[in-house]
Amino acid sequence: MRTFLSFLLLILSFAARAESAAPSWLESTLYGNGKINVVVAVVAVIILGIGIWLWRMDRRISKLERKS
Amino acid sequence: MRNWWKFLGIGLLLFASVAGFWVPLAPALVHVSPDRIAPGPVELTITGYNTRFGPGALVSLKNADQTICAKSVVARDAGHVTARFEIPAGMKENLTDVAVDDLIYTGALFTEELGSGIESSICPEPYPSPTGFTFPNRSILYESIRNLHFHVPMWFTMIALMGISVFQSIKVLGSNSLDQDLTAEMAVRIGLVFCVLGLVTGALWARATWGAFWTNDVKLNGAAVTGLIYVAYLVLRGSVQDAHKRARLSAIYNIFAFILLVLFLFVVPRLNAIDSLHPGNGGNSGFNDLDLDSRLRMIFYPAVLGWILLGCWMYDLRVRAARLANALDR
Repeated sequence: MRTFLSFLLLILSFAARAESAAPSWLESTLYGNGKINVVVAVVAVIILGIGIWLWRMDRRISKLERKS
Repeated sequence: MRNWWKFLGIGLLLFASVAGFWVPLAPALVHVSPDRIAPGPVELTITGYNTRFGPGALVSLKNADQTICAKSVVARDAGHVTARFEIPAGMKENLTDVAVDDLIYTGALFTEELGSGIESSICPEPYPSPTGFTFPNRSILYESIRNLHFHVPMWFTMIALMGISVFQSIKVLGSNSLDQDLTAEMAVRIGLVFCVLGLVTGALWARATWGAFWTNDVKLNGAAVTGLIYVAYLVLRGSVQDAHKRARLSAIYNIFAFILLVLFLFVVPRLNAIDSLHPGNGGNSGFNDLDLDSRLRMIFYPAVLGWILLGCWMYDLRVRAARLANALDR
């Protein structure tokens, strides 16, 4: 879990750097195209969030299985 | 079939998500160039979204009681039309609105050098163009109006779960049941998942519409504080060792937490003294003022119910896992 989180942080820091270098990735992704991209981003975040919850639930139940 | 509500929830989510993406936006005029005009010959290029401009497009400039028709119109494609006008010198008011067929873009223009008389021309009436089932096309929002069906149900689900939790907590005060205390805790935990999803999706939507991930909007801060209050509920539970004492103490805290949730999410943002960017709050009108809002509602309400049922399913699983864990510990 910890390695996964640090990996995520690494990716995010790269993304942040990319943003400061060129003003465009966020502008072009979130403002272009009649703003449909922000809807896609929102749906992606929701699916990712439910996925992370499922993953943790899976581990919790695995722990119960080991105990029983 | 005691699991019917799970099927119902998934079915509603499927319907709302597919329809939320599939239904097209209503045609609208989105850009007029140039946006400052003066008396004399003027050539305007008008950009439409989801429009079907044809050779016979009727273009006119309007204000409250004057109309100037285009001298010539060239529809470059379905989304662009170029129109030439001869603006008279005797305009009394600014020409502010641009109309193409039955679409009107209000506040698109500023007219310089006004006169004192009224000059207006009578333009041919456009036929109302037939439209199918569409979502409203609002400036600033455009396609992101679809987020209504994804971002807002997160909050409805959180509130429903916190409601289940406070209901269980009130029962705990009467029964001292540790099992009811467990269900109250798990409802808060699932509610917080939806709170985080609501905050993150809201931040993305805010960036695209208001220009910043976080604004000092009352509803944003209220939602964040509400989330923190419920995190504090979990911290409080962790700090009390005795199980029965923990159940009673956290039940009382939970009742106050729910009252604060109602205050922060429903009462404070609606106070007239406070301005809010959120629709339906402060002096800001909701989606209710749209004549097409019934179309949004037909997707929105199933989405809300679907997400609440999914949240209840997650809560059900979490409670069952926690009960199993307790039984194994004993």
